Amino acid sequence: MTVTSAPLKEQHGRAADVASSARLPPGSARTRRDRLVAALGLFALIGVVIDVWLGLWVTPPDQTLGNLVRLLYIHPALAWVMYIAYGIAFLSSILYLWPRTRSPRFDHLAGAAAEVGVVFTGLTLVTGSIWGRPTWGTWWTWDPLLTTTALLFVLYLGYLAVRRIPGDPATRARRSAVAALIAFIDVPVVYFSVLWWRSLHQLPTVDDPVTGKTYVHGSMAWTLLLSFVSFSLVFLWLLVHRYRLSLLAEKESDELLAIAMAERRGEVA
Amino acid sequence: MSAYIDAGYVVALGTLAVYGSTLVARERAARRRIEAATKPTGEELADDDPSRVEAAPGPITDAMTHESGARSETRR
Repeated sequence: MTVTSAPLKEQHGRAADVASSARLPPGSARTRRDRLVAALGLFALIGVVIDVWLGLWVTPPDQTLGNLVRLLYIHPALAWVMYIAYGIAFLSSILYLWPRTRSPRFDHLAGAAAEVGVVFTGLTLVTGSIWGRPTWGTWWTWDPLLTTTALLFVLYLGYLAVRRIPGDPATRARRSAVAALIAFIDVPVVYFSVLWWRSLHQLPTVDDPVTGKTYVHGSMAWTLLLSFVSFSLVFLWLLVHRYRLSLLAEKESDELLAIAMAERRGEVA
Repeated sequence: MSAYIDAGYVVALGTLAVYGSTLVARERAARRRIEAATKPTGEELADDDPSRVEAAPGPITDAMTHESGARSETRR
């Protein structure tokens, strides 16, 4: 006698794509995607290694900052990625809220980008603080740029907390998307704060909006450019993994619910 | 070189490395859990399903083959 109940069979059929992940054929779409993501991770790693090598051993010290200028090859890149991450979270949230493009995938993407963005914001604040101690003589000051960046960090932590409030998935996603739009208001404020208010923080090193000058040249400029590219690749790699994890977590909760319901139906029958 | 520079690089790269490793480990664990939760048991698989053999823990012994055959007879 076959013991499988019909609903359980349906659940197994629906989850066939997940269950079969261990028996993927060599040329399948998922293995191709996995290879692409692995290649992305490898390029990111190589880029960061070269950036560190150039930044710490090849580029010359600065006339004013001396060797402390070497923090230039990580700190601005971290801040740049922070802007990209929140930009993606903002766009994904708009796409989720727009009825014609609404898809749970945009909600997952917004959540993933915001979480990775929070990590990069935290690192921007910490590396900035480490740089500020020897150059400004203090770990922290209530400078407009620093204050608005700290506010940004707290706002997106709040956004991640909002995402964890239990409830109906559609309501939760809509609520989160609105929270992401509100949090994003602070992003342009952070960027323009050095222009709007008197700030201890220097103006942009590349293409200063006031003077139109670029203050780095030669190997320093190339290393700075490489740091932006490398950390952007690191961000993309992290984003892909965080996004996949988010999809898997949802699938897992769906599967557990389906199995629990099937068992319950079996008990009732 | 200044300890501040070393600290900046170690904190930034170390945090990203730990965060990235955690994401990969969590993703793999989630895949394994889903696979385990959705994998049909031996009784739910058709007799000609190759997974039935794959799902068997360890080498197939005479006793196991006999047991499997007994189950097929019961099904009939």
